Amino acid sequence: MENLKDKKILIVDDEPEIRIMIERFLRKEGFYRIYMAGDCTSALSICREGKPDIAILDVMLPDGDGFSLLSSIKQLTDIPILFLSARGEDEDRLLGLGLGADDYIVKPFLPRELVLRLMAILKRVYSSPVAERLPVFRLGEQTIDLESAVVHRNRKELSLTAKEHAILVKLYENQGRIVTSDALCQAVWGDDSYGYENTLMVHVRRVREKIERDPSKPIHLLTVRGLGYKLLVKEIR
Amino acid sequence: MEGIIRILRRFVAATLLFSLFLLLFNFVLLGTLVFTENDQNSSPEGIVKQVTQGLEMKKDSFQLDRQATELLQQNHAWAMLLGENGHVIWEYHIPHDVPDFYNLVDVAKFSRYYLKDYPVYTSEHQEGLMVVGYPKESHWKYQLDFLAEWISSLPLRIVLLLLCNLALALLISIVIGTRLIRKIRPLVEGVHNLAREQEVQLDTKGIFGDLAQSMNSASAILQNKTAALQSRDEARANWIAGISHDIRTPLSLILGYASEMEDQSDLSEEQRHQAGIIRSQGEKLRSLVSDLNLVSMLEYEMQPLHLKYIRLSVLGRQVVTEFVNHGLDDRYDIELKLADEAVRVHGDEKLLLRAISNLVQNSVRHNPQGCKITIETSLSQDRSQYRIIVRDDGRGIPQEQLAEITELYFSARRKRPDQQGHGLGLPMVARIAKAHHGHLILANGVDQRGLTAIMEFPVQTINPIYPTHD
Repeated sequence: MENLKDKKILIVDDEPEIRIMIERFLRKEGFYRIYMAGDCTSALSICREGKPDIAILDVMLPDGDGFSLLSSIKQLTDIPILFLSARGEDEDRLLGLGLGADDYIVKPFLPRELVLRLMAILKRVYSSPVAERLPVFRLGEQTIDLESAVVHRNRKELSLTAKEHAILVKLYENQGRIVTSDALCQAVWGDDSYGYENTLMVHVRRVREKIERDPSKPIHLLTVRGLGYKLLVKEIR
Repeated sequence: MEGIIRILRRFVAATLLFSLFLLLFNFVLLGTLVFTENDQNSSPEGIVKQVTQGLEMKKDSFQLDRQATELLQQNHAWAMLLGENGHVIWEYHIPHDVPDFYNLVDVAKFSRYYLKDYPVYTSEHQEGLMVVGYPKESHWKYQLDFLAEWISSLPLRIVLLLLCNLALALLISIVIGTRLIRKIRPLVEGVHNLAREQEVQLDTKGIFGDLAQSMNSASAILQNKTAALQSRDEARANWIAGISHDIRTPLSLILGYASEMEDQSDLSEEQRHQAGIIRSQGEKLRSLVSDLNLVSMLEYEMQPLHLKYIRLSVLGRQVVTEFVNHGLDDRYDIELKLADEAVRVHGDEKLLLRAISNLVQNSVRHNPQGCKITIETSLSQDRSQYRIIVRDDGRGIPQEQLAEITELYFSARRKRPDQQGHGLGLPMVARIAKAHHGHLILANGVDQRGLTAIMEFPVQTINPIYPTHD
């Protein structure tokens, strides 16, 4: 993980105050190899000489727009790009992401938000795939291993079916929060999954048989009447 | 085109009716005007009769009564009576060039045609043949001869004649009608295009040239006005977009440094608290700017919609779930009543979610004392509209404010500034509904308690395909 902080970051924004502020936040987070540019020309020359690992681009620049700068940078080197735009329009967002940008943040932004998204991109692009493993967590007496889709209970191993696994992954991603039955159906059966609500109930019942001590009185996987389901978790790893 | 064919049909029918009427009228005129003259007493046959009756034998000489004499005088006619032997036995003003003896051949000749170019008419008298003559060239005499067969087929011939007339009238009316229609058709299309706000450019030649010219100029005026309106709307939307763009950079700096100070451990707690206030107010400003941008884009129809088929019940459930997940206060009780869940509308998921969540947020914000909020979905009676209703039993909105609450607060139509919130919530909902060809209805609840907000959207008629269960 630590080596992510060694990555070279290029900040391109025509407002010097914004550049300075972003640099400050990044330095505070532990990044120290930071390049800055105020226009496309200097951004491209930095790309040639400094070989940054990621670029944060403003959409509006004095000598061109960020989208064409993205294309020019991608021709030089295939690095992840994060757009930072003062134009909030959806079209811009789609255009940016369509051109191959890795993320798109609308100004004004909170520094924490920027750093989190930047870290997420860096992790995805530069970390070893080991970190992508699905979690293992404890539910009362049971240990649930989502990576290998099994539930450990009383030294026994209960395997989860694909549907049960998908339900648990979705609930785990939103642990402590209600997930609507529509969202669960969509996660398990994909779009246009209307009419699966009763099937979902059957699958939830089977999940409960594996993770609850008393499936009729669940304490981990709760039903929220009329809305959906909620998973209460205590994580161990 | 349907309209034009109807016009043509009516035109032909009218022409046929008119021709029939004309024909009938002519018959009547023929009867009343033309033939009446001949029926009168002064017709030659009538006069001959009168003269014959008026001539009486009295003591070996003939005496013409006064009435017959007057008749002859009026018509400048003369008369003579031929005896059995062909001699003239009585006469009245007989011209000099008329002989006084006639043989059989002479009688046969003049009884049919003329006597020395005088048109004459004959009648039988007790004493011989009465002849009445008129001045030369005052009457034309013709003899009519018909075959019996011809007379008997006359009705058929008249019917045939009428039919030919009708056919001719039909043909002429169709020819004239189609010619007229050909001229009218571009005009009709032009009027339809005007209604559709499309550009109209007609040929100004021909009989309807004036009309075409007027339509062309009306179209030009409309086009200019639309363009002016559009460019003004665009200018407004761009202005708002520009302002929000310019606000975003300074706001980034305010939010950035304020949130950094909030986390700074070497500041006093009070200072950190104040930085937190700056940060949270900055976030409010951020949402205001983006809402203002969204509302103005919707207002000027510049907001791109990412349309797909959506079940509103799903969105209703999602909104309630989000409010519950974010820790809705216990003072608020939220309930879902979903019906006809399978029905779908065509819409932008993000915008519709925003609209429903604005309505719930509105109920929460305006009722700090707490209230019960109900979200309902249902199909209208004729199954053409799908509704999502957000109802609360809180304070409601005074009746006089209901109408103007969805106006933008920079609009002249909305007078009172909103005290709570930034006042963009309900205008945004109304505009999102409108962008989806639906509408927002706001009403006070029963007994003036609480607010009922109804959003109605046209139902997408395609049948959803139910997946097979596994």
